[in-house]
Amino acid sequence: MVLNTVKDIVRKSSIHVCIVNCGGCNGCDVELVALLSPRYDLEQYGIYVHNNPREADVLLVTGAVTEQWVTNLKRIYDKAPEPKIVVAVGNCPQSGDVFAQEGGKVHAPVSNFIPVDAAIPGCPPRPTEILSAILAVGPDAIAQRGREKK
Amino acid sequence: MILPIGPIHPGLKEPLRLKLQLEGEKVIKAEIDYGYVHRGIEKIMEGKTWQKSIYLAERICGICSYEHTQTFAETIEKISGVQAPPRAQYLRVITNELDRIQSHLLANSTFFKTLDHEVLFIHVLDMREYIMDAIELLTGNRVNMGWNVVGGVRMDADESHFKPILEKLDVVEERFPRVRELFAEGPAVALRNKNVGLMTKKEAILGRAVGPIGRASGIKKDYRHDHPTYQDYFDFKTIVRNEGDNYARTLTKFDEIPESISLIRQAIENMPKGDIRTPVNVKSGYAKWQGEAPRGEVAYHIETNGNLIKHISIRTPSIANIDSCAKFMLKDVASVSDAVSTYASADPCIACAERVSITDETGKTVNKDFFEVR
Amino acid sequence: MSSLMWYIYDFARKAWVDGFANAKSKPEIVDMPSRFRNFPVVIKENCIGCGACTASCPSPHAIKLVRDEDTEEEEGKTYPVINQSSCIRCGFCAEVCPSEPKTLECGENHFILPEFNIIPSSRQYVVDDFLCIRCKKCIKACPVGAISVVDDRIVVNQLKCITCGDCVDVCKVNGAMKAVYLDNIQEQRKLIAFVVDTLEKFIESHKDDLRALEHNRLLQYEYPVSKLWNPILEFISDEEIAKEILVNAVTRLKIRVIDWNSEECKKCQLCIPDCPTKAISFDEKTDTIVRNEDKCLRCSICYQSCSFSVIKYFLAKFSMEVNDNNEEVISITVKTSPLISHIEEAVQ
Repeated sequence: MVLNTVKDIVRKSSIHVCIVNCGGCNGCDVELVALLSPRYDLEQYGIYVHNNPREADVLLVTGAVTEQWVTNLKRIYDKAPEPKIVVAVGNCPQSGDVFAQEGGKVHAPVSNFIPVDAAIPGCPPRPTEILSAILAVGPDAIAQRGREKK
Repeated sequence: MILPIGPIHPGLKEPLRLKLQLEGEKVIKAEIDYGYVHRGIEKIMEGKTWQKSIYLAERICGICSYEHTQTFAETIEKISGVQAPPRAQYLRVITNELDRIQSHLLANSTFFKTLDHEVLFIHVLDMREYIMDAIELLTGNRVNMGWNVVGGVRMDADESHFKPILEKLDVVEERFPRVRELFAEGPAVALRNKNVGLMTKKEAILGRAVGPIGRASGIKKDYRHDHPTYQDYFDFKTIVRNEGDNYARTLTKFDEIPESISLIRQAIENMPKGDIRTPVNVKSGYAKWQGEAPRGEVAYHIETNGNLIKHISIRTPSIANIDSCAKFMLKDVASVSDAVSTYASADPCIACAERVSITDETGKTVNKDFFEVR
Repeated sequence: MSSLMWYIYDFARKAWVDGFANAKSKPEIVDMPSRFRNFPVVIKENCIGCGACTASCPSPHAIKLVRDEDTEEEEGKTYPVINQSSCIRCGFCAEVCPSEPKTLECGENHFILPEFNIIPSSRQYVVDDFLCIRCKKCIKACPVGAISVVDDRIVVNQLKCITCGDCVDVCKVNGAMKAVYLDNIQEQRKLIAFVVDTLEKFIESHKDDLRALEHNRLLQYEYPVSKLWNPILEFISDEEIAKEILVNAVTRLKIRVIDWNSEECKKCQLCIPDCPTKAISFDEKTDTIVRNEDKCLRCSICYQSCSFSVIKYFLAKFSMEVNDNNEEVISITVKTSPLISHIEEAVQ
């Protein structure tokens, strides 16, 4: 469709984001969905949540790496094309949060499996905190990896 | 052929693998693979004090985090033989209903996203932000509220909190009929929803569907009617529809929102005065308790040993709903895109559902069908 | 049709045009309500270093108590440090903080009434009334005033207690103030029973020494802790807790040992009716007097009723020590019962 072609041209220079939930409580993912609402309007900054790792520039990792993700997280990371950056959203990918205790089946932090460029603390962080963090690191980090800055 | 969808997929919020068996474009059968977000919360809770465990219960699920804390607190209250003061019970009702509204709005907005109906998606999500504001204003956080404690609620609320909440509810109430009308009477939307993902009442009983999913198929069961606070002081009606398709499920969730708003108004109007918390001396014992989460029945079985949790088992609504979705709704769907939207209409919450992990003799995790687990 | 109308209506609205023309996030989206619980703010000056925040924190790595280095003028200050990548912003630490004014501030949580601030702890502090000498040092040491005198007894108010352990440190009497672990009482019981059993068996195995022991003389043994260690860890896997329970059990432990030489026994059966628990019986087949150890109370009545002084009665005391080879041992002292000397004095 024409509209889609126009959309694609416009989106060419924007940041494509893929959310990877590797075993969290869902709270951070909900806050990421809330970012799409008109109140925060993620897309006005040229950020497009596509949820497809093969097209992603930014992987937003949430969750504390459960059994199944030990091997699969690296596979997802490899599928994303260069240049790519990884942002850890929330506490789970950074420290395992409350789950990193005796009895918990998590393998946090995420940085043991894939390189993490930026981290946003909070359980969960407010949408504005996520937004400012993505905007602070996103364009620069991608520019550093060889992509033209908008 | 078999088409795998997920665990990372544009249509899914959370990791889960849907295996669709196709015949041409038609979906004949679906199978669901769990096990991507099992964290072992119950095992962590064992041997912890209840003060700490309530924060863990909150982190079972990020969308219906409130109901988990309330059911947990009420179970421990039942063990110790105390009751929260009336004012605390009313405040709990307010927060519970706010949480229910935001959860239903979120569920419907993700459903519209999978339908690729961006207008409704954006409008519903925008309405949700007002409710989130109200929650943050009252409890101090948007998602994990930390509001309930055993024996009451943590902080009192007064006129300065109720007034903005009522104002925000006014905004939602004003916008809501137009959004609902757009969905309920828009011809293009209805085409993609009516008679898609059918689940009859008989099938719903077989699949043990609960909450709005079950009510859309004609099962008139709402655990709020069994709850002492709602039973004694509040007046609301249960929304039941008989169609059992995506349209009915979405509309049931929509129609429950005005009921919840009216419950909040009733609670604020008749708010009793008094304490908000009673000191609790937690006894050793065992109790079970159910509550109505946005998605259906949440059941807690807790055995305590003084201050410590000896054993806990939790049953969440999503495990029954997702399985009845895979077994009955995705049985005979016209296309793959319809299958994804049907899955979204069942309001799945994987973080809730992953309560058990079944291992074989070698210790390898094999998460089997819910029906075989029994 | 209505959806089409709706679109047209929506596009025609002025608000929509405005929003389209200057699509920009409003600055108020960053505003937080006054109740919003951000990361806790630490006010170092107020900290009393009690550790209530670390004990209550549900997240394992979120709060650490650190201590500044000592300077010449004063001791270094102790204060909590929040690890932001672990803190779940629940505000529970601010709620339980016992200092006045509060060290930690988070949202409005630090305004919550103190009577509900029950700190979740795996220990409970109790006063052993039998040993307590009522010096009231713990009352002075308690930073939150949880210890008080009720009916001439020292009592710890569990609701106020912040489980800092200061009272145990100042207590002059070993064992008068107890910090009891709550989570594994059953295992602790098994552990103590096991230690007592092993030590009693060890003493009873030295039959010849015991029978040759004259009164006013001591028998001394050493029992290495390393021998006990493996079975103990099967009961309680945490080494630190197991060690503490073992030490508490052994210091102040007294065992009474009863022994008789069955060859010297005259089989008069006088002790059988006297035994209050019917632990002693006469085995006709082997023609001996048998004592059931599980039933025996070690009450010494049989020893007193034995007309021929065949039954012997000993007292054993224990203490934890480090011997010359630098290994930890339980040193055992066995002496004959003081009753003997009384009787002999009476005879003379």
